[in-house]
Amino acid sequence: MTASTTPRPVPVLAPARRAGRARRRTAAGEAHRLLPAPLLAAVTVTLCAMVLAPTLYIVLASLNTDVGVASGEFWPRAFSLDSYSRIWTTADLATGLLNSMLVCALVAVASALLGTITAYVLVRYTFTGRLTILRGLVGLQSIPGTLMLLPVFVLFSSAGNYLGLTVVGTRWGLFLAYLTFALPFSTWVMVTYLRGLPRELEEAGRMDGASTLRILFRIIVPLSLPAIVVSGIFAFLLGWNDVLFASVLTRPETQTAAVALSAFGATQEGGAIPVYSQVMAAALISAAPVVLLYLAFQRYLVGGLTAGGVK
Amino acid sequence: MTEQSTTRTRRRGVTEQQRPLWLLTPGGLLMTLIILVPLLLAVYISLIDLDQYTLRRWLDAPFIGLRNFTEAFESGLPRSIWISVSFAVISTAATVPFGIAAAVATQNAFRGRALVRAVFLIPYVLPSFVVATVWRTMLQPDGIVNTMLAKVGVDGALWLSGPTSFWTLILVEIWAAWPFIYLMALAGLQSVDGEVHEASAIDGANWWPKLTHVILPYLRGPVLLACLLATLHHINNFTLPYVLFGAPAPDDVNVMPMIVYVTSFQGLRFGLSAAMAIVSLLLIAIPLFAYLRALRLDVHEDGGRK
Repeated sequence: MTASTTPRPVPVLAPARRAGRARRRTAAGEAHRLLPAPLLAAVTVTLCAMVLAPTLYIVLASLNTDVGVASGEFWPRAFSLDSYSRIWTTADLATGLLNSMLVCALVAVASALLGTITAYVLVRYTFTGRLTILRGLVGLQSIPGTLMLLPVFVLFSSAGNYLGLTVVGTRWGLFLAYLTFALPFSTWVMVTYLRGLPRELEEAGRMDGASTLRILFRIIVPLSLPAIVVSGIFAFLLGWNDVLFASVLTRPETQTAAVALSAFGATQEGGAIPVYSQVMAAALISAAPVVLLYLAFQRYLVGGLTAGGVK
Repeated sequence: MTEQSTTRTRRRGVTEQQRPLWLLTPGGLLMTLIILVPLLLAVYISLIDLDQYTLRRWLDAPFIGLRNFTEAFESGLPRSIWISVSFAVISTAATVPFGIAAAVATQNAFRGRALVRAVFLIPYVLPSFVVATVWRTMLQPDGIVNTMLAKVGVDGALWLSGPTSFWTLILVEIWAAWPFIYLMALAGLQSVDGEVHEASAIDGANWWPKLTHVILPYLRGPVLLACLLATLHHINNFTLPYVLFGAPAPDDVNVMPMIVYVTSFQGLRFGLSAAMAIVSLLLIAIPLFAYLRALRLDVHEDGGRK
């Protein structure tokens, strides 16, 4: 279950291996050719145009002025970074970005850590109910967020009404919700990875009398860093991309970038002078952390993606 | 299987008592408290008459049995189910050709392939709320889409309201979702052995028979799985309709997540909304069970990986 209600496809193979296999394949000869050259060019150009036309417009519009965009220019008459500087006073994007950053970074770390620990026990030990838990980890990812939102909201507000704890409207409430919804997937990523990790090293450690926690943090964690990064990043993205929970569980001071941007986008209708250029700039700014994450960890993530990753 | 692994574990020197099951507590506690308890709570809420007046003391709200469910079916829910299902099926079906074409086109190395692959991932990487916001802006009556259409002499449309909105939702979803099929198809293509290519080259197979009879069968499994997951994703998608159209959404895009959300947080009919949400869960359960059954869960550390 995800806040953005994406069912989380499950990686079938350990990320690192998948990436390695992909690399080996690139040396393909003439016999491996699938499409004749003209057709290949046509398909590639069409698909790229489909993706790039709107993308290019977003970038161009953000570099235009509000007046220029409103008059229907595709290519700006004059490039300016005006929208990027004015957006901070037009919309409360800074608060949103800061909140998103804080909450999601914390969710990423906590979810990767808890996911690793949980997955380790699930992979290395057998006990009654283990299969049920494994099945649950996959099943839980597909529960619609809209089903969870109301009871979670009722539960969180009850903590206020009955226990005197304010949860709704705080970053902690959002953190708890995102962490829990990220956990099944984070755990599952680690389960698939740890399955492929040979036992011999831990057994050597155990022979030497190391405790389980010591084995976990000294042997397992260093060996599975790529998977831990993947599970952390996906948890981060779950929080960053969510609109559903953030729209109900936050106040203006604690709202996330997603809420700030969608609210800003929605105010551009009906009467007011539209500031489309600033909307585009705000959209690109909100997307930037995600794009940077993908670029920085491409090597790890593409494996996770190919194996059926998530946003 | 379980018995076997237990004995194996024991032989390797770990006794029952040494299993550090307590390590499951933090994760288990969170998931119980914030997933399982709310799930049960959702069932309970669907059976009570909960609105803004009874919300603060929801434990005292009157129990009304299945009345919320009957009301849900008499109100907009059946229409929403129909919209959701057709939206999901059309979106999935429409993204498959794009995804497969992209995977096949980038399978062989060519100059600039890395760049093309990066471009294909753009819609996938962009957050849903960003995609929805920019399309909402571009599809405004005075937006760039209508401007461009006017330049080539086509009358623009009111994309974001009326019956057109349903197709707008599908178009934007296709734009955003096809790279997922592409990625899964790519994974399938990578499982094709080199010998297969060489064999069909020796047979002198032309590209089209080779593609349809030799290569595409390899994609059946991954693409079917991708379709299942994509359909679930489309049915559950809240962000796209919510940000694209706002709440309440136009009638023609009142998909299940939207009607559930609006009934709760704008209509403040919490009981009714919970009933609707549970019906939508039952609907999702059908593809979900198919998926869970197809998935191999207990692949043990060394054996069993396909």
